[in-house]
Amino acid sequence: MAVYHILVVHFPIALWLTAALFIFFRVFSNSELANRLQKAVWPLILLGSLAGFVAYALGLAIYPISAITASPLGRNHIMLATWTLSYWTVMGIIGYRYRRFLFDGAQRWATFLLTLIGTIVVAITGTLGGSLTGTPSLVTKSLGKIGWDVYMTFYLPTWMIWGFVFGAILLVVLGWIGHRSRA
Amino acid sequence: MRKGLLMSSVVIFGGLLVAAWMVHGTGVIKNDPEASISIPDELTSKLQVKASYDGENIWFRYRWPVERPSIFHDVLVYQDGEWVKQAGEEVGPSENFLTEDRVSMMIDDGSVPLFSRYGGYITIGEGLTTFTGVPETDEERTKYLPETRTDPGDFEAMKPESDLETLRKAGYFIDLWQWRSSRSNPNSVGDDGLVSAERSGDKGTGPYTTNWDKALNQPKVMFDPAIVPGGALNIDDVIGGVITQDDTYALTPAVAVPFDPTLAWKNGDTIPRRMLREVSGSRGDVVEPTVARWEDGFWDVTLVRKMDTGNTLDDKIFREGGSYDLAFAVFRNASTMRWHYVSLPTSLGLGQPAELQAVKFAGDEPAWDQPWYETTVFYPGQVSWPLLTNPEKHPGADKIAERVPVKFRHNPEQLAAYGVEIEFADQIKRQWFLTLLASLGLIAALGFNINLLMTRKES
Repeated sequence: MAVYHILVVHFPIALWLTAALFIFFRVFSNSELANRLQKAVWPLILLGSLAGFVAYALGLAIYPISAITASPLGRNHIMLATWTLSYWTVMGIIGYRYRRFLFDGAQRWATFLLTLIGTIVVAITGTLGGSLTGTPSLVTKSLGKIGWDVYMTFYLPTWMIWGFVFGAILLVVLGWIGHRSRA
Repeated sequence: MRKGLLMSSVVIFGGLLVAAWMVHGTGVIKNDPEASISIPDELTSKLQVKASYDGENIWFRYRWPVERPSIFHDVLVYQDGEWVKQAGEEVGPSENFLTEDRVSMMIDDGSVPLFSRYGGYITIGEGLTTFTGVPETDEERTKYLPETRTDPGDFEAMKPESDLETLRKAGYFIDLWQWRSSRSNPNSVGDDGLVSAERSGDKGTGPYTTNWDKALNQPKVMFDPAIVPGGALNIDDVIGGVITQDDTYALTPAVAVPFDPTLAWKNGDTIPRRMLREVSGSRGDVVEPTVARWEDGFWDVTLVRKMDTGNTLDDKIFREGGSYDLAFAVFRNASTMRWHYVSLPTSLGLGQPAELQAVKFAGDEPAWDQPWYETTVFYPGQVSWPLLTNPEKHPGADKIAERVPVKFRHNPEQLAAYGVEIEFADQIKRQWFLTLLASLGLIAALGFNINLLMTRKES
């Protein structure tokens, strides 16, 4: 199953990163070409998510769940793959709903930041996959230099997990407040 | 207002990610002596090795960094009329430096399947002494080779004696050389042992024995008062590092005399709990050309043995043109048992291509002018062979079944990290899963937030 995962996983990576490239171009350009490319963003992202779901399922079928979740590198790859898939799916939905308005005024900088985060997450997920198959890259070593030894599980202390929970609640509340202000 | 909330939301999300990056991996890993857990401050170190031979003897020279040498092992301290044992075997490093420094070397000639690929990992069965949750037993549950058991994962499932003899005659054992800073070095010897159904010494007399007379409830010997005033050292001097290799610190036959209970013993008087003795037989094959010394932050140890000892059931025989496999372990910072640093397997060649090339010499002793072979040694944690070969517990079990060498997939730094994590496997897995759920919730909340806060001009 590993070979099929490796084969399929390059589709979402390519689709998401192409979408990111178009977004970055559009953020900095109002040219006709940038506007045309921007129209392809949400289809690219959601196609990437579709391929991502397939790659994710294939990935989980490579090793017994008990084995892959016993491996720090395996856990990290699952964690980052889950983040990547969910994050870009959310980005795809936002892209579908707002399309060209993603680049209106200050919103374009929010779009830029969110896309940048998504690109970083894709890159880390990919490099973890490479490390898992015995081919660590320069990204793997670079992560170690900035504070994360990828051969140790990425997990948060309990207080930080609560921070995430409260942060999630805060985001929902802020969204609701803003929505009501429009109404 | 909505634009402000949108930017604030993105900043909050990004801030949480940055905070998570800063604090990840904390809150779980901590020392727990009750659970036999002590994580070394340094997870890796270096060991340098050279090898030479002259056709009759083979010489190995080892050099490794030690900030403060530990030249004592367990000691007997006089306290209010009694001799009390202190230290020796402790969980993690001995705070008082009462656990000796050591180096050991496993040797195989190709007779033990998988040793060349996985080194000492194959000798780590399940439920060995000092593993978390393993109750203390009268006899130490030591390393063993998997084929000496009907079930390699069951320490108790020993094969019948006749089967073990057959395996031994076929060379199914690992030769194990050891050097001990307290229990062998002062007598200028090593300690020749092996790993088969258990880790044991070769036949013969080993370099030390216990300095305790059970019947009289007192030490057997003490220092000669003519050499060490009062017949004992002082515990504060021992612990404080005042006593060095330049002083008399070990009970060698030359300085030991029968214990005299009538001496005016005072609190703090200290006598080593081990007395050194002359080695004999196969156990005494490994010797030092001279007593090793610690200098400038390094131990520099040389061990010598006949290439062919004639003890084919205890020793691996070295031959010109031969290829061998080695695995090293270094005990530093006053630590013992599993709190050591181990190497991955290393090939040795006597006139053959290998990672460590033994250099042939003529004369009394090697010139040692070849470059050092340097290897990274690492803290191995509680990783057992039954775990590594179980596909339900180790994703690489199938690769082991295919005999893919450990070096192909792992490096010492990675294995050290895994060694630490395995000691907290359940807690880390739980925390990881909670992190996964919380982060998914955060991403979903971000999506919800942005969908509500972004605007369309025409709306």
